[in-house]
Amino acid sequence: MTREEQVKEVGRRAGARVVGIAAVEAFRAQVPEGYRPEDILPGARSVVVAGGDGPTAGAWRCPDHRVMEITGYDLRENVAVHAMCDFIETTLSYRAIQAPSLPVHGHEPPMSMMHAAELAGLGTRSLAAHIILNPEYGLLYYAALITTLPLEPDAPLAEPACPHPGCAAMYKRIGTTPCLRVCPACLAGKVNDGRIQESTYDREKCHSRAQTYGIGSFQKGLLQIVNEDDPERRRTMIYGDFFTKSLQSLGFFRDSIAQCFECMRVCPVGRKYRKLQ
Amino acid sequence: MANLPPNATATLKSVALKSGALVCGVADAAVFAARAPEKQRPDDLLPGARSVVVVGGAQPREGDWAATSPWVLQTMGTTERIQGVGRRLAQYIESELGYYALYVPPGTASGDTPFLSLMLAAELAGLGSKSLAGPVLNRDHGFMYWSAVITTAPLEADRLEAEPACPAPPCREMWEREGTTPCLKTCPSSDGGCLSGKLENGRAVRTFYDAARCNTRVHTHWVGGFQKVLEETLNEPDRDRRKMLLYGDFFTRSLWAITYSSTNIAQCFECMRVCPAAHGLKEMK
Amino acid sequence: MSVFKLDPDVYKRYKDQVLELCNSFQRIDRPGLSDKQIAERLGLDERTVTEIRCVAERDCYSLDEWEKAIEFKRKATLEWSALALKRPDLKPE
Repeated sequence: MTREEQVKEVGRRAGARVVGIAAVEAFRAQVPEGYRPEDILPGARSVVVAGGDGPTAGAWRCPDHRVMEITGYDLRENVAVHAMCDFIETTLSYRAIQAPSLPVHGHEPPMSMMHAAELAGLGTRSLAAHIILNPEYGLLYYAALITTLPLEPDAPLAEPACPHPGCAAMYKRIGTTPCLRVCPACLAGKVNDGRIQESTYDREKCHSRAQTYGIGSFQKGLLQIVNEDDPERRRTMIYGDFFTKSLQSLGFFRDSIAQCFECMRVCPVGRKYRKLQ
Repeated sequence: MANLPPNATATLKSVALKSGALVCGVADAAVFAARAPEKQRPDDLLPGARSVVVVGGAQPREGDWAATSPWVLQTMGTTERIQGVGRRLAQYIESELGYYALYVPPGTASGDTPFLSLMLAAELAGLGSKSLAGPVLNRDHGFMYWSAVITTAPLEADRLEAEPACPAPPCREMWEREGTTPCLKTCPSSDGGCLSGKLENGRAVRTFYDAARCNTRVHTHWVGGFQKVLEETLNEPDRDRRKMLLYGDFFTRSLWAITYSSTNIAQCFECMRVCPAAHGLKEMK
Repeated sequence: MSVFKLDPDVYKRYKDQVLELCNSFQRIDRPGLSDKQIAERLGLDERTVTEIRCVAERDCYSLDEWEKAIEFKRKATLEWSALALKRPDLKPE
């Protein structure tokens, strides 16, 4: 087994659906200084990216959207990253760190997992919120590690996963695609000759949907509460469903991770894995 | 009443290591009385306690210490990986050995008071000794995170570590030369930091530790910061300024820390980063 | 001294520009600028830009948008369920 295969096998056994490798140099083209793997770990040579499953097929079929609001994630790709980091440090004696991916200033993380997934050949950007779609599995969640271990990188995908041929045909017919049609509030785009010609994404509006109950809603609710002079109205705000759910999502982080799946629900990429008995 | 099978302690330690601990030791519950305050002793949590099993591991990787981005150590905390081992051992002791076991919760009973000092437990289980900077350091593995299980099982207790990891030889030399050590120099209480101490007859003697200041560094973004901004917001008469406080970077980040445990576990490692006994004990490429 | 607090007047003056330049409104072919890059462009210090961005991200839409989000998801899920699961009884009003 090559070293690359060894590392990937450790990741897959730990629960990753897919594993890919990118060279640190590849990040320089589009990533501003301060956010590149080599800015984070001196001597970094490679970034290994793990993609983990999203909601189960059964969860997608639930008519109550609240279910997926609080069960979307099992963070398996992070477990895979830890397993690979341990392997790289203890067995191969190279430095490895879990890439810091949680936001540290507002909505900005220190490193983009989406971009890492693209460069590691695990998927391409889509019309739907620029989510990285794996051509086989569709929506996956990504985590990465940065290491001083030199590894042969995988190439970015030559063929984009989006648009799906069905979506390209739909665009030709009626000028829209399933994701653009379901969520025009956050998404806009154009398809030409089976390729994305233009695509825009309103992240802040999407935030109100993808994290309806979370840190942001808590802040907004709290500001409203402190600005309310009437004690009775304040009381109803504090104890109301919205603020209560916002607090709950702070207490149980899994409740806050991802709360809107509508653009992905209608996406045909990877849908075959959601057809079960 | 159940009796312990032969080699029970050794078998338990083997289970701990297979579960992911780097080290496992046992302390006699009775010896805590001399050093732990009332209400923080094993018997206070589990009446009839005889032993405290301590596991260490899940420490930052060598890559984490080498990272130049402060966000790595601050947001990718790994201590929960050792908590899972502790829980597993508690279940093992009860199901396989038939004795009561209580997994010590890693949080606080109230304020900043722990249920049981995990650092003291690690020392008494022979897994390390207190350093000048504060954390318990293991001679072979340096800085680690700890988890503990109190049990009524009469396990074989380990001895205290004979030779402490701190002060490390480079620190002794530095003390001779400059009258300070790397950790004291990085965070001196004489200059707005948390630590002061000395080496005496080759032993580290901590003379001062500003826990409250250390808290503002280890938990910069956490409950305390949240409370402070909330207080300031409520006292702020101008609505625009209230928005600046509640939507601002500090409060947003504090909320992230409250929500995601990896972002709140520890947010300052500077005394350990410079410590030659805490990490870098293995040659890395 | 307290935590870094943004002057509301500075915030109002620069918030739209900062939002425009960062990753809030994304184009697939153009990455947003970092806080440092925005600071250089607007002649501000990086810390101020970070603070403006954090407040502006949260301030961009009012709580009305959150209410719309709740309703959007409820309806979208039910509409899809009615169609895909062949359950017309689930179709929202």
